Amino acid sequence: MLFNKRTERLFIWIFFPLALMMPLFLEQNTFYVSKLTTVMIFSLFVMSLDYLVGRCGLITLGHAMFYGLGGYIFVMIAPEYEAVNFWLYTLYICSIAAAIALLIGLLVLRTSGIYMIMITLAFAQMAFYYFSDSIEFGGNDGVFIYVKPETSLFGLSLFDLDNPIHFYYLCLLSLFNTMAFFKIIMRSRFGRVMDAIHENPDRTVALGYNVFFFKLISYTIASALGAYAGYLFTLQYGFVNPSMLSWTTSGTALVMSILGGMGSIYGAILGTLVYEGLHYSLEHLTEHWLLFMGALIILMVMVFKDGIAGYLEKLLEKRS
Amino acid sequence: MSNQAILETEGLCKYWGGLKALDNISLKFYEGQLHGVVGPNGAGKSTLLNLLCGHYKPTSGRIIHKGEAIDAIKPWAFARRGIGRSFQKTNIYPKSTCLENCCVAVQRLMGGTFNIFSSRYSQKMLDEIATNALEKVGLLHRRDHIAAQISYGEQRQLEIAMVLATSPGVLLLDEPMAGMGHEESLLIITLLQSLKKEYCIVLVEHDMDAVFELSDQLTVMVDGQHLITGSVDEVRDDARVKEAYLGQGDEVY
Repeated sequence: MLFNKRTERLFIWIFFPLALMMPLFLEQNTFYVSKLTTVMIFSLFVMSLDYLVGRCGLITLGHAMFYGLGGYIFVMIAPEYEAVNFWLYTLYICSIAAAIALLIGLLVLRTSGIYMIMITLAFAQMAFYYFSDSIEFGGNDGVFIYVKPETSLFGLSLFDLDNPIHFYYLCLLSLFNTMAFFKIIMRSRFGRVMDAIHENPDRTVALGYNVFFFKLISYTIASALGAYAGYLFTLQYGFVNPSMLSWTTSGTALVMSILGGMGSIYGAILGTLVYEGLHYSLEHLTEHWLLFMGALIILMVMVFKDGIAGYLEKLLEKRS
Repeated sequence: MSNQAILETEGLCKYWGGLKALDNISLKFYEGQLHGVVGPNGAGKSTLLNLLCGHYKPTSGRIIHKGEAIDAIKPWAFARRGIGRSFQKTNIYPKSTCLENCCVAVQRLMGGTFNIFSSRYSQKMLDEIATNALEKVGLLHRRDHIAAQISYGEQRQLEIAMVLATSPGVLLLDEPMAGMGHEESLLIITLLQSLKKEYCIVLVEHDMDAVFELSDQLTVMVDGQHLITGSVDEVRDDARVKEAYLGQGDEVY
């Protein structure tokens, strides 16, 4: 079975039907719909980071680079006043991001631990300053997207991206597919080697695996999906700006991933939901919301040692 | 004695700065033999093993496997050529089951690593080979136990099973009996006795009784230098060996 943990199945059976029905309750209020859409998009991003950090042990503080690149690549390659095909451009953007990740990965993955954190951060900052200083890409203001892509596939147009509800469903579908994709990878023999590398790299080398190569593949996959999330975000709001690339985006995603339960994949959704939920509710209560937010997150990390997903699993899984 | 050495070193040196951890070691390892390597602490036994498996790169000298110089290839490529090793400190995947531990090893030979649509939980062939490896070391009853929860001796056995699962030609064993009780040691000795018929084994070990009992060839090393290589009896009677071990009296082993 693809979703092998009881907690995971339970979560999927609760979350996805609820998310499917959500727009029915919120139809009048597109604010919540778009808020939820953003949460889904960011969950997708956090999920790709969660795979890297929790599953492969590759701790990066530069993942937001790909999030931002997803948007900027779209701006670079798409014509300004013409609707392009969404699926085709998804393919383009993911491939280009993957190629960039491959190159950067070749350099970055030579290091590990704290050095890898620093060097990924350095690359992300390079991208950040490049885009925030470029005239071509609007500097700090970023770039506006005038025409959203159309989504015809074999003559069938399922989603109208200008319709928030349609866009919501597109993101939900993407999120589910991404989750299933990561689960398929983790279940495969490739995933077994990745687990082995995470648990004991030396032993895995001694068994004859080219550890670097495996890490590079994982890094590339996760980065391409991070770019996809950035692409969706760009389409939702109709603009890109350098703040998407900033290290705080990476940091936030990392916090969400840890909060949700590193390496659990579905925990990424939990972490993002809880973080954004806290953010939203505290923001309305007080001006100094960050203070309380920080305290709450520290508290949660202390109580849920393996994240929310880990805590739920402790409650729900049968003890062996 | 077979004529062609399966693994051989030529003037192998490893310096750590000014320290000569290993100085000009030329040895030959033959198939179907157990080659014991002994020596006082710091003699360079583990360094030798780490060089032989590609973990360290030699400062100078060559390693020849089946007639090809392999000292420049990557560590993982050593394992691909059939040079498997166990570590001095237990080195397994503690969170996985014993079967899973061996499956990682078997999988490399079986391929299919990049077929992401085949589940790793339904691989009959793979499981079978991995189970066989466990059976060889006598761990069949622990097949589905988490590796961290089995006893220390069993973990060492598991490590040997993992190496066996890669179907190596050469086994490099770094103190497989370290920290083991008497009975567990006996188990390993019996195991090695049966394994040495099929493989070329290089055994670094402190347990003298075990080494004397098992070795076909025995090398004594002192301070990174090669002292003597010969049969167990030759080594036992050699005056220099006695001096190295009992010698000046300023060190206690």
